[in-house]
Formats: sequence, C-alpha cells, structure tokens
Amino acid sequence: MKNKLPLILTFAILAVLPLMVGDYWVSQFNYYLVYGLFALSLSLVWGYGGILCLGQAIFFGIGAYVMAVTTKGMISPILMNSYIGLLSAVIISAAFAALLGSFLFAGKGINGAYLAIVTLAIAIVLERLMSNWYALGGYNGLLDIPPLNLGAFGYSFELWDSLPTFYALWTIVFSVALSLSYLVRSDYGVLLTAIKTNPDRLAYFGFSILKLKLSVFCLSAAVAGLAGALFVTIDGFASPTLIGFTLSTEVLIWVAIGGKEILLAAFLGAIATRIAESWLSEIFGDYWILILGITFMASVVLLPKGLIATPLSNLSKKLGLKID
Amino acid sequence: MDIIIPLFDAMSYVLILVLIALGLMIVFGMMGVINMAHGELFMIGAYVMVLIQSAGLPFVFGLVLAPIVVGFLGLIIETLLIRHIYLRPLDTILATWGLSIALKQGIVLVFGPEAQSVTSPLDATLVLGDFSYPMYRLIVMGISIALIAGTFWLFLKTDFGLMARAVIARPDTSAGLGINTRKLYRWSFVVGTALAGLAGALIAPTISVDPQMGLGYLIPGFLSILVGGAGPLAGVLVGGGAVGGTNSLLTVWISPVAAQIAVFILAILVIRLRPNGILGGKNEK
Amino acid sequence: MLEIQQLKAGYGEAMVLNDFTFTLPKGQITALMGRNGMGKTTLLKAIMGLIPVKSGQILLKGSPLENLPTYLISKSGIGYVPQGREVFDDFSVYENLRLAALGSSIKNLSLLPQIYDWFPILHERRNQKAGTFSGGQQQILAMARALMTRPEVLLLDEPTEGIQPNIVHEIGLKLSQIAEETELTILLVEQNVHMVKTMAEEILFMENGRLMASCSMAELNQDDALLHRYLTI
Repeated sequence: MKNKLPLILTFAILAVLPLMVGDYWVSQFNYYLVYGLFALSLSLVWGYGGILCLGQAIFFGIGAYVMAVTTKGMISPILMNSYIGLLSAVIISAAFAALLGSFLFAGKGINGAYLAIVTLAIAIVLERLMSNWYALGGYNGLLDIPPLNLGAFGYSFELWDSLPTFYALWTIVFSVALSLSYLVRSDYGVLLTAIKTNPDRLAYFGFSILKLKLSVFCLSAAVAGLAGALFVTIDGFASPTLIGFTLSTEVLIWVAIGGKEILLAAFLGAIATRIAESWLSEIFGDYWILILGITFMASVVLLPKGLIATPLSNLSKKLGLKID
Repeated sequence: MDIIIPLFDAMSYVLILVLIALGLMIVFGMMGVINMAHGELFMIGAYVMVLIQSAGLPFVFGLVLAPIVVGFLGLIIETLLIRHIYLRPLDTILATWGLSIALKQGIVLVFGPEAQSVTSPLDATLVLGDFSYPMYRLIVMGISIALIAGTFWLFLKTDFGLMARAVIARPDTSAGLGINTRKLYRWSFVVGTALAGLAGALIAPTISVDPQMGLGYLIPGFLSILVGGAGPLAGVLVGGGAVGGTNSLLTVWISPVAAQIAVFILAILVIRLRPNGILGGKNEK
Repeated sequence: MLEIQQLKAGYGEAMVLNDFTFTLPKGQITALMGRNGMGKTTLLKAIMGLIPVKSGQILLKGSPLENLPTYLISKSGIGYVPQGREVFDDFSVYENLRLAALGSSIKNLSLLPQIYDWFPILHERRNQKAGTFSGGQQQILAMARALMTRPEVLLLDEPTEGIQPNIVHEIGLKLSQIAEETELTILLVEQNVHMVKTMAEEILFMENGRLMASCSMAELNQDDALLHRYLTI
C-alpha cells in the first residue's frame, strides 16, 4: 500500500486543485487528465511491455471516433449513451489492436525497431483514410459531440461545466491508474518484465509470447481508446489529427521525457510537458517546437530513463518504495 | 500508350526512393542507427535549391551545393548526436525523431510553413511519336541511376567499401585489425546524408517543397528496406521497386489514398509472410 | 615486451580480472591455461581494448595501451586472433588479408607472398569465400590475417577449439616456425595440452582472474602437477 502513496498523493493534489484555481485552469486540467491517461497507455505497452509503438494515437483516434459516432446517434439513437460509447470505444480499440498485433507479433515477429516504424506508418495511413472518409466528416471531422452524460434509462445528467466534468474524469483516470499500478506489480507484471528483457527464455518455460504481447498491446489500446473517447466529450470535436502522426509524436515525447518505465512519471510527464508548452509557447512562439525537439533529443541521450522518472526512482530507492 | 507514362512516373519515383532508402540502409547497416531525420535531410536538400534560385544562381550550382551542405550538416549531427547512440536502434529512433522535429521547425522558422516552388532548369519535353515526357525528369532518372550505381561501386569495389562492409559484419574484429571504425561510421553517415540531400535537390522542381515533405519519403524508404530484406544493397533495389512501383501505379489507377493503404497492406503482408524480406537472407541486426 | 600490471577489468560491475600481473618476454611463446570462466578471454579482450580496464596498466615496450581505442592498439603492434576465428565469411581469402593490410598499413600488402609461402592452402584458395572453409582452414586464415598486420605481439584465443588433432599439430608447428623466423612474441590461450606442449616455452596458470603459477616447458615435462591442479585433468 505504501508503494502507492506517491500515486495517491498525486491524485489527492489533483482532487483539491479545482478549489484553488479558476475555471479556465480546471478546464485545462480536464484535458491534462485525459492526456495523462493516454500517456499511461503508452507507458504500459512501451515501458513495461517493451513494445515501442510510434503510432499510439491510432487507438486514441479510434476511441475518439467510436465515441463520437455512437453518442451522436450516427449508428442508431438507441446507442446515444455515454456508457455505451465509452465501452464501445474501449472494445473496438482493443479489437483493432488484437487484429494488428496478431500480424505484427506472430511467428518470429518483427524486430522492435521495425515494428515501431510500421506502427507509425499505420498511423499515417489511418489519418489519410479518415481525412478521405466523408461519412465520418473527412478532413474536417465530426463536430458537436455531446459531453459525458452520467444518466441512463431516460434520466439525463450531462456534464457541461468543467468542474463536475473534472471530478468524473478524475474518478475514471484515478481508477485506471491505480489498477494499472497494481497490475504491473502483480505476477502479470513480472511476465511483462520477462518479455521485455528475455522473451526466448520465457518461451522455454511454456509461456506464449504471442499471447502476452497481444494482451499488453490490447490493454494499452483499450486505455488509449478510453482516453480518446473521453477527449471528444470535453473537446466536442473529432478529427483525423487525433489518429495520426502528430499526436502519436506528442504522446511519445511526453512519455519519453517523463519516463516510460514508471507509470506515474509518464503521467506527470504528459501534464508537465503540456503545461510547459502553454507557458513557453507564449514566450517563445514558434521557437517552442524547436526547444521541445532539442529537449527531447537531450533527454533521450542524457537521461534515457526520463526527466521525472530518474529523480523519482532515486527517491523510491532512498525511501525503500517501489513506485509505479 | 496509357501505361507508358505511369510506368515512367513510377520509375522516377522508385529511383528517388531507392536513393533515400540506400542512405537509410547505409546508416542502419553500419551503425545500427535508425535515422528518423533522414527525410528532413532530404527536405533540406530541396530547400537549398529554393535558396539557390532565390539568389539567382545557376541550377547546377545547387546540385553541387546541396550534398555538400547536407553532408556537412550530417557531419555535425554525427559528431554531436549520433555517435552517442550507436548500436541502440530504439534509442536512435527517439533521438533522431527529436532531431527531425527540430530540423523541421528550423526550416519553418527560416522559410515559413508554406510550400515553395523551384522552377525546372529545363522546360524541354522529349517527344517520340505519341510519347512525350519532360526532359528534366528523364535527366533526373539518369542521374539517379548513376548515383545508385556509384554507391554500389563505392561499397562493393573500393577499399572504403571493403572496410565498411567489414565493419558492418564484424565491428570488433575490424577494430582489432586496425580499422578506425569511428571514422568509418562518421564518413558513412556523411555519405548517406549527402545522398539524401542530393536526392532532395534533384527532385525539387518536380514537387511542392514544404517542411512536411520528408515524412512522405521516409516511411516508404523504411518500408522498402523492410520489404526488400537481404543485404544492405540489393534488398533496397527490390524493396524500392516493389514499394515505389506499387504506390506510383496505384496512385494513377485508383487514388493516392488507396495507393498508400494498398502499399502499406502489401508491406505488412510481405513482412509477415517473409520476415526477412523478398530476397530473404540473413537476419538484420 | 608486453607488461601487464595489476590489471582489473570486467563486464559492468563484475570484475573478472583481479590484479593480474605478468610480463611477456620478447620472442617467447607463452601459453595461458586455466578452466573455463577463469578470465582468459577477458584478459585478451582487455589488452585489445574490447572491454574497459578498471585499473592497472598494459605496457607495450613501455608505452601504455590501456583504454586506447582498439584500432590504435592494433596499430601499435598487437595482433589478435579471436576465439571462434571471426573470419569475414562473405569475403574471399584475399579480401580478408587485404583488409588486414588496409587496417595496419597498405605497405603490408607486400607481405602477401610471404603469407602465401607459409600457408600454401591460402594461396590455392585465395579467391574462395572464407565462409566455405573448414574450421581448420578458417583458423589458418585468421592467423594469417593477424600476421598481415606485422605485429610484434600475437594474441591467440583458443585457436584449436573445434579443430581435428592432426591439424592442431600442424598449426602448432607452423606457428613456432613463424615465431622463430620473425621473433614474434606470442601469448597463446589454450585448453588443448597437446598444442601447448608443441609450442610453448612458458606456461601460466590462471584462476579467478589471477595468475596463480607459472613454469617453463621443461619443468612441466618433468612434473605436470600444475596441469592437474589448474585444469582438473
């Protein structure tokens, strides 16, 4: 339990945050929570599962579009329910991951570096596809996506204001973060570490590498899909950029800078980078992207474990904790 | 007759793609570095032409300057960044990704995000009966073939190439024979980047030059390598032909989007069914 | 000729060599024996700079070599025949040898006739790809390749591993002959007692990264207790 303290502490601080800042920042933090969730998904598959996915936005985007299509009633008015939307987003993202993964991991599998590039290529192709899919809004995407609706069976409780939305998101993100944190410390987590470091050894013990890789890949896709679905409820808008290369790069940067091997570090990395962006891009304008690129390069070469993860893991050693 | 022009277009696209993939492969084969910024180096070559033209200098001057500028840039990149991350392919993806972001933004800051155009030095068209094709493109194809042949010659027939191939195969043993592997890595990187820069300069008059153009060649370049398989050189020809040819022909026959999707599915299928590429052969590093 | 002083080296945190100290006299063939895992290959790799030296010194004719890049160590005059031969399979015999000349000094190409003279089989098959050779032939190529660099000290790591006994004997004799002709200093890491007896003048015994004992060939022939002790045979 004490290992979870830093995580719990972080979310405790987040919980009281709205009481201290104005409405603008609360709505910003809604986005940050969602991005943090997205970062968790990449940290899981990359930092814990050892699979570098350069196109993680694929699943975010799928979740986003599925949520949009469902809650806008584009398939059927019966499905215009937030819970159904979220569930569908998660399931369909995971299903797509299963399909993709069965290609990429089966047999001897593609080696890590090539796999990464293939996932990037998929993101690019999908973005192109969505831009040309007129039924789904094409290049302009889908607008007027309804916010989260906590009601069901005729009763409606739409979350239009940022404050109640914040607490709904907080609940979801905290639950997922905590669950993942327990998961990676469980026996499953041990298997993941084995896959990452010495998959052949594991095969000798009778484990199916394919199943393990697929499981972490799909789980990560599910979390990313959830993040995407939640995103469109606060943004109201789903577009091809949510499935493409730019967003995939962004989440990669957040997680690399924060630290891929510690869930909490990745989560904080997303939030810290976004806050830095909104602050620094005002000061430096277009030079901000240049600075980001250079920071990213430097962090990969000098502090490959992550700018937040390195001090965090030193701290955890000193305190005798196992932080995730 | 309807097929000839698309075939020529496909050939010219394939040749440029092979030039890019060769550069990528040299760097990956030699030092296990995946250079995600390769597309940007290609793009910078094109921008050198933009600069040359706006300065009113002759076109050929640009063709000479582009590989020198980009090669020099490659030298700086190798010294400051790449040499810290040899033989760590996954880390190199990330680090060079950051580089590509920085380079792209650098160009945006200097030239702006809009597309630029470079005028072709030759307006002439070759006309043979019913067939007509822009002269410049034909010349570019010829130069590309010469460059590709030159690269093969460099790596297969010269002492530099012998040492380079030795270092790719067995770096420690090569060092144990007195070969300065670091110097070889550095100059191979420069050759690879200069090749990309020259390719960018050559192709500049035929496409729209903008800061985002790199990615559109980087990904097919990598897919060519994946699909072609086998040794560093021959595989790239086969892969480039397959990927480039399919992309180009399907773009004309169906649509650009369909072409991209089809190429991608094709690549995945090939990789899945023949993990070592069409030519098979030994496993990559 | 080659002095090793209190060498500590290893992989990461684990030290394999612990205060290893000895001197190779010029022109002598010295064998280094010991059980597997005792640090023999590590010693050769440390001398060649293929693994980092934690502390201690390696002096070639008085000049320090430790922590120099491998290619400079080679150029200083140390030839290395690694365990497993490591010939370039896709290159011909000639290309393998030419490579050695490219690494050391292109003038060394003039050594080619001498190399072919010592090893006629290489001349016969000079255009054949090294990968098609048998173990013994590859070993000969690997040695010839190292000799092309005109070394003053030659390091050999288990050259007889996996090679049939009669070839082992031939190689041993040939190397002794070459060493005499060229005043080559040789450090031979070997498990094969027969090879050692064919060639070596002095034998060192290594255990747990340390030099435990040494004796001359004459002494060993009289009483091979050391062999039993350090090689468990």
